[in-house]
Amino acid sequence: MNDIITNALLLILQLGVTVLMAPFIFGIIKKTKARIQNRRGPSIFQPYADLTKLLKKEVVISENASWLFSFTPYLLIASTLVIVILVPTVFAPLPFHWIGDIITVAYLLALGRFFLALAGLDTASGFGGLGSSREMSIASIVEPAMMLSIFAVAVTAGSTNLSIVVRSLSTTPASIFNPSHLLAFVALFIVTIAETGRIPVDNPETHLELTMIHEAMILEYSGRYLAFIEWASQMKMVIFLSLLANLFFPIGLATVLSPAALGVSIVAFVAKMTLLAIGIALVESTNAKLRLFRVPDLLMTAFILSLLSLILYFIVGA
Amino acid sequence: MPIIDQQTLVRSVDILATGILVTAFLIISSKSLTFYVRLFAFQSILLGMLSLVIAVRYGETHILTAAVLTFVVKAFTIPLLLNKVIDRIRVRKEVDFSINITVSLIICGAIVILSNSVAQPILQVQRAGSLFTTKVLPISIAVMLIGLFVMISRKKAVTQIIGLLTMENGLFLSGLSITHGMPLIVEVGIFFDILVAALILGLFVFRINKSFETIDIAAMRSLRH
Amino acid sequence: MIFIPRKRLASDSALKVAEAGKNVGFILSCLGSVAGLLLSFSIFLSGQSLHLELPQTTPLGAMAFTVDQLSAFFLGTASFLGAAISLYSLGYTSEYFHKRHVGLFIFLYNTLFLTLVALLSAANFVFFLFAWEVMSFTIYFLIVFEHDDEASRRAGFLYVVMSHVGTAILTGMILVFFVQAGSFDFAALRSNAHQITPTLKSVIFLCSFIGFGVKAGIVPLHIWLPEAHPATPSNISALMSGVIIKTGIYGIVRVSFDLLGTGPMWWGILVLAVAVVSAVLGVLYALMEHDLKRLLAYHSIENIGIILMGVGAALVFNSTGNKTVAALALIAGLYHVLNHATFKGLLFLGAGSVVRATHTRNIEELGGLAKKLPYTSFFFLIGAVAISALPPLNGFISEWLTFQALLLGFTTADLTVKLAIPVTVALLALTGALAAACFVKAYGITFLGLPRSNAADKAKESPRSMLVAMGILALGCVVLGIFPGIALSALNPLSASLLGASMTNEVSLVGPTMILSASPSTSIAPALMLALLAGFAGLPIVAGILMGGKLRTRIAKTWVCGIETLRPRMQYTATGFSKPIRLIFSSIYRARHEIEISEDVSPYFKTEIRYEVTMEHIFEEKLYKPAMRGILSVARFGRRIQTGHIQSYLAYIFIVLIILLWATG
Repeated sequence: MNDIITNALLLILQLGVTVLMAPFIFGIIKKTKARIQNRRGPSIFQPYADLTKLLKKEVVISENASWLFSFTPYLLIASTLVIVILVPTVFAPLPFHWIGDIITVAYLLALGRFFLALAGLDTASGFGGLGSSREMSIASIVEPAMMLSIFAVAVTAGSTNLSIVVRSLSTTPASIFNPSHLLAFVALFIVTIAETGRIPVDNPETHLELTMIHEAMILEYSGRYLAFIEWASQMKMVIFLSLLANLFFPIGLATVLSPAALGVSIVAFVAKMTLLAIGIALVESTNAKLRLFRVPDLLMTAFILSLLSLILYFIVGA
Repeated sequence: MPIIDQQTLVRSVDILATGILVTAFLIISSKSLTFYVRLFAFQSILLGMLSLVIAVRYGETHILTAAVLTFVVKAFTIPLLLNKVIDRIRVRKEVDFSINITVSLIICGAIVILSNSVAQPILQVQRAGSLFTTKVLPISIAVMLIGLFVMISRKKAVTQIIGLLTMENGLFLSGLSITHGMPLIVEVGIFFDILVAALILGLFVFRINKSFETIDIAAMRSLRH
Repeated sequence: MIFIPRKRLASDSALKVAEAGKNVGFILSCLGSVAGLLLSFSIFLSGQSLHLELPQTTPLGAMAFTVDQLSAFFLGTASFLGAAISLYSLGYTSEYFHKRHVGLFIFLYNTLFLTLVALLSAANFVFFLFAWEVMSFTIYFLIVFEHDDEASRRAGFLYVVMSHVGTAILTGMILVFFVQAGSFDFAALRSNAHQITPTLKSVIFLCSFIGFGVKAGIVPLHIWLPEAHPATPSNISALMSGVIIKTGIYGIVRVSFDLLGTGPMWWGILVLAVAVVSAVLGVLYALMEHDLKRLLAYHSIENIGIILMGVGAALVFNSTGNKTVAALALIAGLYHVLNHATFKGLLFLGAGSVVRATHTRNIEELGGLAKKLPYTSFFFLIGAVAISALPPLNGFISEWLTFQALLLGFTTADLTVKLAIPVTVALLALTGALAAACFVKAYGITFLGLPRSNAADKAKESPRSMLVAMGILALGCVVLGIFPGIALSALNPLSASLLGASMTNEVSLVGPTMILSASPSTSIAPALMLALLAGFAGLPIVAGILMGGKLRTRIAKTWVCGIETLRPRMQYTATGFSKPIRLIFSSIYRARHEIEISEDVSPYFKTEIRYEVTMEHIFEEKLYKPAMRGILSVARFGRRIQTGHIQSYLAYIFIVLIILLWATG
């Protein structure tokens, strides 16, 4: 009985951390970018206000849309939340860690993307098709790079289960961050930028048809559905950042259940996330958006680096 | 008691060397000349830090000098110079590749694997002497070859210089990894060599640009006649 | 074996009465399939193989059948798909009345099943080869069934040529086997295999890989496949893609695991290399395809590649001695055989339903069918999700197992393996992602948006029997996905019998729903995942209501930059959709495109734009065309001795006789 309560509490903590922190990360990125551009920028809590506003607004649905259009936001949230309970943030192992591993995470992301891309085509709008096409093309190179870079870390720990990997890494500090991890880290960082639609791959703030990718795909969404989609993509950012943080620097992560350990872990997590968010903002501010057909070259780099990191691990042993 | 223990040394040297490899790959993946220069500067900083770590660990002053020279010459002066050249000639993009980026990346991936197998026999002999070479030597060979590959696959003269400099960085790294660096006089010689080379090549780029109105070295073939 | 006579009966009666005959024919073949399914279940449950010997013996050996677990697995897969397809055919063939010879069709359909059963249960090679040839011819007749279509005839010809090249090589293999081991019987071969020298073993392996590979459609022997699948009626395409090409896999597994035993490592590396190339090229060509059935055909090549990744990895690990990982890899491959049969069967049936309703296979002319064919579109969507390896459906499970097998194999010391495995893992991931992109295109352009042609606008939903058949397969995709334990616990003893090792050392099953991989301590629980997906989908509903009250919706027009009405032609096309991928992989596609623009008064007012893309298929250009030219020039040379005079032919015979007599005497 005690076990069930602890597990339930842990689950709520895990979901709560990601769900509630997601808009905050976006706030930090926006604020940092504004500061770099010598602007004051909106408050870091602005994304919360945006979301609550959108949740209250009515949804406009295209007359051409089928049931998929209304189904997709819910599926997207659901698949993202399943991922959330698999990717450790402040504690490992998570209570339901055994329902899936990193392969599952990658393919659940693909599941959400698959339906979102279909929803883009659903309204018969040219923009939707354009966005879906670009998103799926980019994703097809991003996904292998993402899986490989995580495999490179996973094989160090001898498991593809994220909770077990993170736990084993944080208990054996000697295995943290070897050269093959550096290659994997660079690859996963590029992947993060691509997957979360950031400059130089995509610009989340543009609505120009020549350049937009993700925004084009969800152009027909509005009101509450848009809120769900935005929230899901913010959570996706947290998922990727916590992968970066906990796979490569699992410092401070709680592996035993005690208030002190959890407290340290939460502080460490927030600090790591903030740093990474600032890192993303720096990359966004110092780079120009790439032309669409230059993006594959960048992603190919991530792909090759992650492949190398895996090969190097097996040949050299680190 | 040295300031840095052996394990930390091996670790940081390995990571810095891998970082150098990553910058070499990013050079392959990019088209922008200014980005090349920035990456080269970053690569040199990593190299400088690496030699600094070794110098501190073994207390060898000539490596320390080499490290300082690396920072001053490669991480600062040469990039500055190259940036000036790029500003003057107003060419910012590498276009018209002889081998496209994707294929280049795959080839470079193969280069890394090849260098690793090439380096293994050397390491068998060397293992008794130094401990930190297992990963650094293959990486340094790979960086040299990638530098050469940059020179083969890209056409702009500035990129040729970057390729040459990357090769030199690889060479320096392999020297460090095998023998704790070459004698100081050789190092200094090489530094001034490449500084002069960069200067001269930079000047050449001006001249080429002026005479041919392009810095595409393919145009130089017309010199045959 | 009870259902063979029944099928013959079905075919005979079908020749006489049209409508009733059709129903009897297909219902009986459906019953026959169910019987086959029961047979394979009983073999799996009892663990005993079924042996049957007919009293007539031929000079080349007895007419003997043995259904062991390997046969039973393929038989079960075939029967499951066969049952659904027979049901589907009830409705599907109704449009053939007054147009085609339905009786002939039913005859061929049932003959195909008969030969399939004979092939899978044959206990010696003579009988096996006989069944193989009859099956090949039956397929040929089914490909050219719509013989007034030029493309069908060409596809049929290509198929016959390729298939016979394969059979010739297989015959060679069987003869080598016979000379070495002294028998055609599988059982005798199995026990005598150790006498064969390693070189000849490799020759046998290579012959079997090429010979069976033609049928399986591995690259570069795949060229007949994308021609033949669209040419046949859709129910046959489903059968071909789901079952017939798997007989190639059956042959490869039978020869290299069951008969030859352990071989050198390069066998596995070769299979892996071919598998990777097949998978990636298959999906890349599929992406460029706008003919719905050709697209699916290319995906068959891709999935054969994925299956062979498992088989190849099993061969590699078997030779390096990691028997348990080999067992896992083989099971992953075989599970993908079953899964691919299920979802590809479903997709072909869905495509058939679309073609039946719109009379076009070109997806550029479709669109908006989700509203016209709601059930078909829903089932097709399930198939699309499954084939894209998305959780929690069945495609995901077998790819997951393949990934795990490959990752577990990392412990192998050999350098080639260490290089081959990460590359395979990378390309398997790439294949999965590209497949998802392809099915967004296939589903999105076909079923979503606005209809792009009149035919698509007027489409009507298919008859109920077709929908039920698709429903069964869709349910199969879900069940095989969330309860993988059912099939895997059956496959485990199969691998144990082939490799002498069970996968339970690497992956253990906890109940039917959860796969737990032991050594890398990882697991999946697809059923719980599905439950959580459903549960979490409720969260946004609750959150929405709590924070903003009841959901208010309004129906409005799609925004089209202020133009008054959205016309279907303003939508994204399939060509446009796949263009980024065409550019990313341009070095593989070598696409040539032509643009023709006609202008009116000024360059700003274009009256007509024609855009055409052609792809160069590397193997056709670089391998088959030169080979064809070579053969033709040899033939031209050979024509010189064809004088046409009967005297000269007699002279040839005379010369040959003299030579033979001289040689023997």
